[in-house]
Amino acid sequence: MTLRSDHVAGAAFIAFGILVFALSGDLPFGRLSAPGVGMMPKLLLVVMIAFGVALVIGAAASQPFAEIEWSDRTHALLLVAITGVAVTLYTTLGFIVTMTLLVFTLLTVVERKPVLHAAAYSIGLTATAWWVFGKALKAPLETGILGF
Amino acid sequence: MGVTLDSLWLGFSVALQPAVLWYAFIGCLVGTLVGVLPGIGPLAGISILLPITFGLNATNAIVMLAGIYYGSQYGGSTTSILLRIPGEASSVMTCIDGNAMARKGRAGAALCIAAVGSWIAGTFGVIVLTLIAPPLATLALKFGPPEYTALLTVGLVFLAYMSTSSLVRTLLMASLGLLLGMIGIDPLSGHFRYSFDIPELGDGIGIVPVAVGLFGLGEILSTPSRQVTGEVIRPKLRELWPNREEWRQSGWPIARGTVMGFLIGIIPGSAHIISSFLSYAVEKKISKHPEEFGKGAVAGVAGPESANNAASTGAFVPMLALGIPTGPVTAVLMAALMIHGVPPGPTLVNDHPQVFWGFIASMYVGNLMLLALNLPLVGLFVNLLRIPYAYLYPLIIMFCVIGVYEVAHSIVDVWIMLIMGVVGYALKKFNFDPAPLVLGLVIAPIFEMSLRQSLIMSDGNWLIFLQRPIALVLMIVCAGLLAASAVSAITARRDWRAKLAEEVKE
Repeated sequence: MTLRSDHVAGAAFIAFGILVFALSGDLPFGRLSAPGVGMMPKLLLVVMIAFGVALVIGAAASQPFAEIEWSDRTHALLLVAITGVAVTLYTTLGFIVTMTLLVFTLLTVVERKPVLHAAAYSIGLTATAWWVFGKALKAPLETGILGF
Repeated sequence: MGVTLDSLWLGFSVALQPAVLWYAFIGCLVGTLVGVLPGIGPLAGISILLPITFGLNATNAIVMLAGIYYGSQYGGSTTSILLRIPGEASSVMTCIDGNAMARKGRAGAALCIAAVGSWIAGTFGVIVLTLIAPPLATLALKFGPPEYTALLTVGLVFLAYMSTSSLVRTLLMASLGLLLGMIGIDPLSGHFRYSFDIPELGDGIGIVPVAVGLFGLGEILSTPSRQVTGEVIRPKLRELWPNREEWRQSGWPIARGTVMGFLIGIIPGSAHIISSFLSYAVEKKISKHPEEFGKGAVAGVAGPESANNAASTGAFVPMLALGIPTGPVTAVLMAALMIHGVPPGPTLVNDHPQVFWGFIASMYVGNLMLLALNLPLVGLFVNLLRIPYAYLYPLIIMFCVIGVYEVAHSIVDVWIMLIMGVVGYALKKFNFDPAPLVLGLVIAPIFEMSLRQSLIMSDGNWLIFLQRPIALVLMIVCAGLLAASAVSAITARRDWRAKLAEEVKE
């Protein structure tokens, strides 16, 4: 049997549903005349698991799992990792430093742009965004331990 | 009618104030930019700019955000026609014949037809919205919890029925969205649900981080810059005016697209996307020369572009009159109104007439602004398309982070956005449409509250949904749609949705 994309997707939803159900133990279901806090989530989980099963049953019409195009995965992984680091540092280093580093790293590491171009672009872009959001629109931007 | 005209007069007295005009202009300009630039749609655009409106009053805020929405429908056509890349999902169909026209030296004519069609459709939509939203709001005042539960159920089933992907996939996404909407403090009992001792999750998951993650970051993750290459065709200003034959060929498609788009816009789902696909399919079907489609047919531009604009206006009807979003964009707009202390729904027209009528009047003005913006300034927007995507997406990621963080100054929200970006990427790989997920997230609190209140009212009797006339009618509609879907699934008959899905794939 060929493993198809809907086999994987359906199984993922079933597993997710069972996991959340297990985490819902402390939520009382209540009675129909006095529905508890757990009633709606548990009903939804049953529906989700049922649809997951339906997806697996009807998976023959979906494309083979091996044919899913993943050539963009390196790009996606790098972006998630770099943005994740930026999010971690955001409240510590503040808007100006974090965003300059984020844009600079994306341009040099992911896009392989020349360092000077990337530095000029990231500094210019962050400065413009800081002025537009922080000054013109008066949005309170995060300041870091360096005071800016 | 007299009352409506008086109210509209009030609306224009609000909409023509310099500040409101200014924010309508900003919204239309940003919307056009959002539509022109690939990789950032109206939902991400509105979500990112939502925090900027916190300092504004409710009228200015909603006028600006709505301008971004309908402005993006105009702007999306520019990229589709000149670059063959849809700037916005609803402009996919315009790529086909719009770009073919451009390659035949008729880029200016294609842009003009798209802009004029959009303007006619947008204006028609606002006129109908003016006429039907107030009486619909009066009717909705009779709605209690059972009616709202039934209405939301019909909305979800309609969404699944209208979707070009399967019923199961759509409802699966909607139930995932509803489940995410359960996170946080239960308003009836004060019980925490799935908050895992993270205080920020006590208020639940916000729509902005989810929407920006799924539609903004998710799109960027799956679009490496090497894939975004294309030749930009630069139209000459003197070539903007279509010839007599092109005007003649665009008349009826604009009219059909306008009416069809508005009607589809009222129904839940990704209306502006579905309407353009349907319009294209209809025009091709009834054309005397279907072989011209794909090679620069004028109707292939005029119909879909009119339809997506009319649909974006139609989507405001249930939002303003019933307080129910038909899609993720209207859901964010509703959230924006609520942030400003203005609850959308049947009480809006009476409790906040200046916001309601000012907003509607601003759309008449906004559509004129967009016509003026999109034709003479097309050269400027073309230049924007020359910014390499490699330099553009870091800017969008930066805006995503700022936009999400500024809503509640919560870094947890930014993490949620990042996680949702990964989820959006994965969903795309497995052919899931994330729009129902966002819709489910938004309606979750209203749906749960009205369902539980209905059950408490009836002492646990499910028949309450069949004992009240409005709820009964809605439930019959719901059963009819489910039956229609079941019949086509059991008999394996290709209904109009399957055919439409095939058109889309082609």
